[in-house]
Amino acid sequence: MIRRVYERRVRLALAKPPTVLQVEAANSYAHIATIANRLYITEQTANILKRRTEIFAAPILADTRALKKARYLRRWARRLTDFAFSSEDAIVLAYGSFGLDVESKTVGVDAIITTDIRLAEHYERRHGEIKHRFDDMIVNLPETYAVLRLPQVLTTAAILAMV
Amino acid sequence: MEKLTVDAEGKIVIPPEVIQKRGLHPGDELTLIESAEGLLVYQGGVDAKTSAWWNRLDDRQRLLAEEYALRDENLSEHERDASWNQEAESIEIEAESDELDLSNQLASCSTKA
Repeated sequence: MIRRVYERRVRLALAKPPTVLQVEAANSYAHIATIANRLYITEQTANILKRRTEIFAAPILADTRALKKARYLRRWARRLTDFAFSSEDAIVLAYGSFGLDVESKTVGVDAIITTDIRLAEHYERRHGEIKHRFDDMIVNLPETYAVLRLPQVLTTAAILAMV
Repeated sequence: MEKLTVDAEGKIVIPPEVIQKRGLHPGDELTLIESAEGLLVYQGGVDAKTSAWWNRLDDRQRLLAEEYALRDENLSEHERDASWNQEAESIEIEAESDELDLSNQLASCSTKA
């Protein structure tokens, strides 16, 4: 989603019309910014933005906080791949439960927003099994991890439907 | 978001409440953007965040943004994809050394408080 928000700004600088995904992402981002306490990105996205053109990337970095990986994030990501998620998607989903905001000392997010409809549908379809597997894993972790939850996965189109 | 239905002549009707909300008048032009992702009926205009970013830029920064944007647009789709997929994070056990223990994080929080 962040990529499309960035690209929307590139298109505006060129005075070119945006693509569907760019419009969806930019409008969703603007809406979420008004209702969410905080916007988070993964470390990978933060690193990519830091290497991109500052004039486009810096405001997005300023709007968001990069989550760190809490222990067991990758273990959960590996288990998610058993549900036919790619490793790239699995790690993003795992950030949703094990992503750590070191500043506020909070872990996990309420919702992951994506332009990837197939990812959101697949997550929704297998949610019951995923939840079962997640609960099985959490119960065997130290007590501090008992507070962890699964995030929702929402598409940008779904966010716009709420507006 | 509204659902539109195409009639036999290929026309779509925009619901009156949307016409009113967007301040549309007969003769106003809308752009139909067709791409691999789908179709978008686009009125122009910019969302609040993008607009706020653009409005903060002075003329020199806008020229600079256009210059950088041109470079970005000149990349092939493959090059652009590659630049957004750098440093893919591994999910393997060997990569777990950078993970932070939640118990320690919460303990450091208590210490700071």
